[in-house]
Amino acid sequence: MSKNNPTSVKQADRKEIKVKKESFFHAARGDSKFKRLIIHLILIGYCVLSVYPLLRIFSVSLRPGNRLLSTDLSIIPANATLENFRLVFNQGLLQWIWNSLIITVGTSIVGVIIAATSAYAFSRFKFRGRTPLLIYLLTTQMIPSAMLMVPLYILAINLKMVGTYTGLVFAYAVTSVPFSIWILKGYYDTIPVDLEEAAVIDGCTRLESFWKIILPLSTPALAIAFLFNFSQAWNEYLIARVILGSQESILTWPLGLQRMIGQYLSQWGQYNAGALIVSVPVMLLFLYMSKYMISGLTLGSVKG
Amino acid sequence: MFKKVLSLILLVSVMVFSVTACKTETKVPTGDVALTLWTQEGESDFALQFVKSLTDAFTAEYPNITFDVVQKDTEVLREDFQTASLAGSAPDLLWTVSDHAGPFVTAGIIQPVDDYFNMKLYVPSVEMNGKTWAVPISSGNHLMLLYNKSLVPTPPADTDEMIAMAKELTKGDQYGLSYNMTEPFWLVPWLGGFGGAVFAEDGLTPTLNTDAMVNTLQFLYDLKYVHKVVPASADYDVTDTLFKEGKAAMIINGDWSLGGYKEVLGDNLGAAALPKVVATGEYPKPYTSGKYFMLPKDLAGDKLAAVIKFIEFATNEANQLKQLETLNRLPGLKSVLSNEAITSDPILAGSSADMANGVPMPTVVEMRCNWDAMKPEMTSVLADEKSAKDAAAAMQAAAEACIMQLE
Amino acid sequence: MLIDPEVMLNSFKEVILTVLIVLAAIAALEGLLYLIFVRWLKLKNAIVIMLISPAVIGLLILQVFPLLWEARLSFTNMSLKHFFNFDFIGLKNYIRVFTEPVLKQVTFFPLLARTILWTAVNIIFHVVGGMCLALLLNREMKLRGLYRMLIIIPWALPQVVAVLAWRGEFNFEYGWINLVLQRIGLTPIPWLTAPVPNFIAMCMVNIWLGIPFMTVIFLGGLQSISGEFYDAAEIDGASKWQSFWNVTLPLMQPIMAPAVILGTVWTFNTFNVSFFINQFELETSDILVTALFRAAFQYNRYGFAAAFAFVIFFILLAYSIFYVKTTKAVEGAEVR
Repeated sequence: MSKNNPTSVKQADRKEIKVKKESFFHAARGDSKFKRLIIHLILIGYCVLSVYPLLRIFSVSLRPGNRLLSTDLSIIPANATLENFRLVFNQGLLQWIWNSLIITVGTSIVGVIIAATSAYAFSRFKFRGRTPLLIYLLTTQMIPSAMLMVPLYILAINLKMVGTYTGLVFAYAVTSVPFSIWILKGYYDTIPVDLEEAAVIDGCTRLESFWKIILPLSTPALAIAFLFNFSQAWNEYLIARVILGSQESILTWPLGLQRMIGQYLSQWGQYNAGALIVSVPVMLLFLYMSKYMISGLTLGSVKG
Repeated sequence: MFKKVLSLILLVSVMVFSVTACKTETKVPTGDVALTLWTQEGESDFALQFVKSLTDAFTAEYPNITFDVVQKDTEVLREDFQTASLAGSAPDLLWTVSDHAGPFVTAGIIQPVDDYFNMKLYVPSVEMNGKTWAVPISSGNHLMLLYNKSLVPTPPADTDEMIAMAKELTKGDQYGLSYNMTEPFWLVPWLGGFGGAVFAEDGLTPTLNTDAMVNTLQFLYDLKYVHKVVPASADYDVTDTLFKEGKAAMIINGDWSLGGYKEVLGDNLGAAALPKVVATGEYPKPYTSGKYFMLPKDLAGDKLAAVIKFIEFATNEANQLKQLETLNRLPGLKSVLSNEAITSDPILAGSSADMANGVPMPTVVEMRCNWDAMKPEMTSVLADEKSAKDAAAAMQAAAEACIMQLE
Repeated sequence: MLIDPEVMLNSFKEVILTVLIVLAAIAALEGLLYLIFVRWLKLKNAIVIMLISPAVIGLLILQVFPLLWEARLSFTNMSLKHFFNFDFIGLKNYIRVFTEPVLKQVTFFPLLARTILWTAVNIIFHVVGGMCLALLLNREMKLRGLYRMLIIIPWALPQVVAVLAWRGEFNFEYGWINLVLQRIGLTPIPWLTAPVPNFIAMCMVNIWLGIPFMTVIFLGGLQSISGEFYDAAEIDGASKWQSFWNVTLPLMQPIMAPAVILGTVWTFNTFNVSFFINQFELETSDILVTALFRAAFQYNRYGFAAAFAFVIFFILLAYSIFYVKTTKAVEGAEVR
């Protein structure tokens, strides 16, 4: 984005307004010390509840002898060992994480690009079939994914995409497109039309104004769409199971870890060690993105 | 005229087919054959590694025949094989559990194996509609009594003895007995011991509302509420943990768990047949199954010949013994059952003594209905919510309703 | 061997290649569309077609085709017994969904009622809990960033991992919850084996999973409310509570409505929680989607399951039309 672009000024304006808004916390004015203490206690309590299962996962992963259960409530068991982590790495966890990572990133890029352009059409143009299409997009969110497994598998077999990443990247990108379109459309709607009209008067084409004005202004929403794409693909199990099959070196982590859970015999220690490791990147991403989330997730109807 | 031509064509094709079938038994294809094998064996008990060691060894002997071993979870394998068959792209060979035969035969997506193998050499296999549908790789998968020798020096011979011992051993946070109370797989051995079975003679009509079932449920109820020798609520993981922690003197578990317990308990692990039911004087009849090769419907030609050769190789005596050594699984080949590797090992001997009392697990699709009918009722009896009598009646009603819907 | 560089490189290549091919295909498609609609037909809305066609084509292949396939299936009697030789039986499957047990004993309407109860309970807790946390966080305070970070964790954790961890805590003998109950002298609860406790356990887990999303959305909304509104309310002598009811809630309406409605759909369709917390397959803990999964994959009633799926689909479709009508979310900021 060039500096002499008229939009950068506008963008700076927007930011300033934001900063101003954030400095108001009126609900909190005049809180007494006691009230503050109570608020902190409640929040600490809730945070403990949020984090506790994660700690338990950690605790099981340290337990020797493959035990899921124990009456021991301490987080670090008496005979803690890192053996499970060693074993799970030896089974190929790094490979699975790597596969998941590249699939997820590839998917997210493709998905966001497709969604970003379509959402612009839905936000700025009136055309026949627009409302039904939007409703359809929303409806795709409601199709139970189990319903599509059999036809998808048959499709994958016929397109010779079983056991390839191509099919998976394509499938993931498309499945998360509808929701991304809704997020992005909602955000585009909040950007005043005048900005583009001014640009068009300055001699930009429609697509140029989209590229130069709308996209840079939509960074928070694009980040959210990316995050949604990412976390959906990162955690997805059913479609991957159908398309990838099970050749060891091409598995994604959910498929890989799933192999440690049998009907009766399960490697709980290793499963939890692996689960902990794969949870870290998504959590870091979420934490990093949380500042965008607050401004980007307007879900389609906040105006001005 | 048309009919005649048709029958002639049929006749010729049958002849051609039978000739090729004969040939396949003697000759290994010389061209390159790439086979896809689907298995539900997992890595955690080294079974998948064993599958791969067999295919690798076979390829070493016949370099023109190569394998792609694909691992799938049990349920996934079933679903995917059904879908793949529908799309006309099934794998060339299955290595899976016996209960899959029911749905596969019903859907018509596997072929009988009688023509290719001498089934008399193997332990009883999956039989339906007068044909054999699978070749046994291993047998077992049966429940038995496992005990901790530091608490139980000799295993109980009958149920009274078991209850008496368990009562003595239930103290503090230690239990005399534990088993998975959430799965009817742990109920059916006792049902057999009380003289019942889940199906009538025809193998299709559920017979769950019987005196035998009522007595079985009452027996399990009494263990918990009258004798108080089992945990208040035990599932598989609880039982497993209790036994590993030395807090359960006796448990009921399957042969698949032997390896893991040997590791934890060492020489303190004991295995025996489930004790005789005093009321009837009969031994409980655990369900036996095991792992089987199944052949997809459309397998033919060179691939079929290669598959047959591989199955013969995988179930020869040497490899069956290897399986026994590496996986602790009892063989599918009869001649190996009497091998001294089994008779001289106390745990395997106990396991095979127990298996001798067993009955093959029904594999028809109707069995799914039986399982699903028994499960919630067993739970409610053990939660003291329903009497054994009411539960047995409810089981039968649920199973019948379910079978009606299978159409 | 931890990782094989060659395998790594291969998978990397495959994905990059796929991404490039998809992008190239989109570019080619756009060029073609440009030639046809802009140059040749000179359509007014050509740009719209160009913008939405990649998404539409992708959805046609991956969602519409499977849907049509399922639609066809829903009129057949396909099951294991009629695997290749199935017949078309008209609307019979649809009639069966409403008249016969959907799984073992439960029929459609009780199941629907349970699903609605499940959705309502969850959404109420999500909204109230999310709002409370957002209000607490919406102030200048120490550790605010840290709290916000930790509160998001249930959302960030892979769902199945989180649900399986919770399931361990509901174990009768070894679960943390029962151990605590016993320590304070109460009787332990059979969370996994008894119907009502199991349903409650499902709700607890899902509430835990869903609160962070609402908190984040509501916090965003609260921060966008200008302080002047509160100043005005204060001048008018409104109490905190009154200004919450009269200022905060109305202003939050546009943010809450879509969040609640989307949350409703997600909860209605939550598979992982009710499937995994219901470890012992209690029929009383099934909701519509898990019942659908069981009908299709455990009982192989393909035709019936397809019809069942469409019934669920139509319920949700009606709901989403309602959503669009009430929130007017389809209206965009039109240029002309």
